Amino acid sequence: MKKEVIIIRNLGYTYPDGTRALENVNMAVYEGERVAIVGPNGAGKTTLLLHLNGILRSTDGQVEVFGKSVGGVKREEIINDVGIVFQDPDDQLFMPTLFDDLAFGPINLGLNEKEVRERVKKALSSLGLSGYENKCPHHLSYGEKKKASLAAVMSMEPRILVLDEPTANLDPRSRAELIGIIKELNEREGITIVIATHDVNAIPALADRVYVLNRRIIAEGTLQKIFSDFELLKENNLEVPEVFKLFEVLRCFGYNCIELPLSIDEAIEHLTRTVETEGGHIHLHIHEHTHDEVKKLKSKYEHHKTS
Amino acid sequence: MIEYPEIDKYASLDSPMHRFDPRAKIIAFLFLIFSVVLIPDLKIAFIGLFFAIFLLILSRIPLTFVLSYMKWVAMFVLSFFVILAFTFPGEEIARFYFLHVTAEGLYTGLLITVRAFSAFILIFPMIGTMRVDTTIKALDRLKVPNSLVQMLMFTYRYIFVFIDEFQRIWTAMESRGFKLRTTLYALRTIGKAMGMLFVRSYERAERVYQAMRSRGYTGDPKTLVEFEIRMKDYLLAVSIIGFAVSLHVVSFIVM
Repeated sequence: MKKEVIIIRNLGYTYPDGTRALENVNMAVYEGERVAIVGPNGAGKTTLLLHLNGILRSTDGQVEVFGKSVGGVKREEIINDVGIVFQDPDDQLFMPTLFDDLAFGPINLGLNEKEVRERVKKALSSLGLSGYENKCPHHLSYGEKKKASLAAVMSMEPRILVLDEPTANLDPRSRAELIGIIKELNEREGITIVIATHDVNAIPALADRVYVLNRRIIAEGTLQKIFSDFELLKENNLEVPEVFKLFEVLRCFGYNCIELPLSIDEAIEHLTRTVETEGGHIHLHIHEHTHDEVKKLKSKYEHHKTS
Repeated sequence: MIEYPEIDKYASLDSPMHRFDPRAKIIAFLFLIFSVVLIPDLKIAFIGLFFAIFLLILSRIPLTFVLSYMKWVAMFVLSFFVILAFTFPGEEIARFYFLHVTAEGLYTGLLITVRAFSAFILIFPMIGTMRVDTTIKALDRLKVPNSLVQMLMFTYRYIFVFIDEFQRIWTAMESRGFKLRTTLYALRTIGKAMGMLFVRSYERAERVYQAMRSRGYTGDPKTLVEFEIRMKDYLLAVSIIGFAVSLHVVSFIVM
């Protein structure tokens, strides 16, 4: 039975201006797993994440990390366990050079000079930024800054890594690189990952389980379960990954499957299996209902358009 | 395009000034600047100016770089020169209608001009030979109050961000037809844009603070930096300070 590393019970939070941001949120994250929190803009995702390291402390509900309540523990202990990477890198690279930014966390953790230097070096190389120690953040590109802000958190070697919209605004290559780095951190070092995002196409690569948040937890489950529930997604301004849509279209053309793949990797696996079980071929055909079904599918996916 | 401040553009060159230990350099030059600014005699002030130029040349920083900043100082200082020449009481040596030019006025105006230029020129071998973050860390090691050091660090880091933000606001305004004119409307719009910048900076400060707390900020960030002071640095510092003191000794004798 896997250990629970984060437990959130009945968490509620109201902003100082009176808006209710979170209502009765219950969540559990297990060691080494990867959880995504999805929801529309303004759902309270960032607010929820800020509770995980005690920046926000609500008296309404409990948040426990590694069995200790976040409200009762000293700052130095929490940040040892939980590292949050925020959305805007310029908010997190606040020192004159990259070295200083990456050293900031380890110095505050009380490490000696030699250990700090080692941590910085290690974090830089694991993100492909070796040699950038003396660069001033404004000389970096956006993608490099995103990697640098992740490095600045990783130098503290937290056991839980929380990311707020990590793939937002990145060019395709930087996005792929970042996804690869996050996957590796989880696979190689067993770091628990919590990601708040609405980049649904990245979720299959980054998460095993999904929570849908819209001030309260609307749903929770595996990716298959959540992405198959169209009404749920529509109500929360979400979508299914493109690969999923394609296979729904193929289904109209006679492709037989119950569980639809969510990513290219899953698609490859799926197609290979189907081809093998169907004796070396996949049959697609147009039958009397195909056009109608495709039309229905298209209008389903264009639900945001006001006709 | 608004330009970024780049006083440390030539910090990666190599020269005796570049190799001077940052802490000793700051102390020695501060001594020299104070000295040069307080010289009472014009002849000695010129010696101070030449020494400043000598140190500038020693630092290998291109003169064109210094001159590009010089024009602002020159405008300010020369207006003083003109005012003093015309208003300082003393022996009249020329007259334009109702304006008198006095010898004392010219002397004092010129003295102030020479002293200002000397001080200005000295800034370049002092600060232009180090990366800004090195300068700030040296100040920290020299026991400058930590809150001041933090202010300098964050100002340096975020001035670029604010310039970018203002640039974006400006581009957005121009894209919707705004033209820079001296009308009241234009000035009010600029005022509002600056107001927006303040609001955005305030909000950013909140977010940066959250990020800092998430990495353990407790109020006094420490930085790791390797400074090694050598005999050469002590000698250089002592000679500069010695020269600074001698300037005053000589002016005392001369006066």
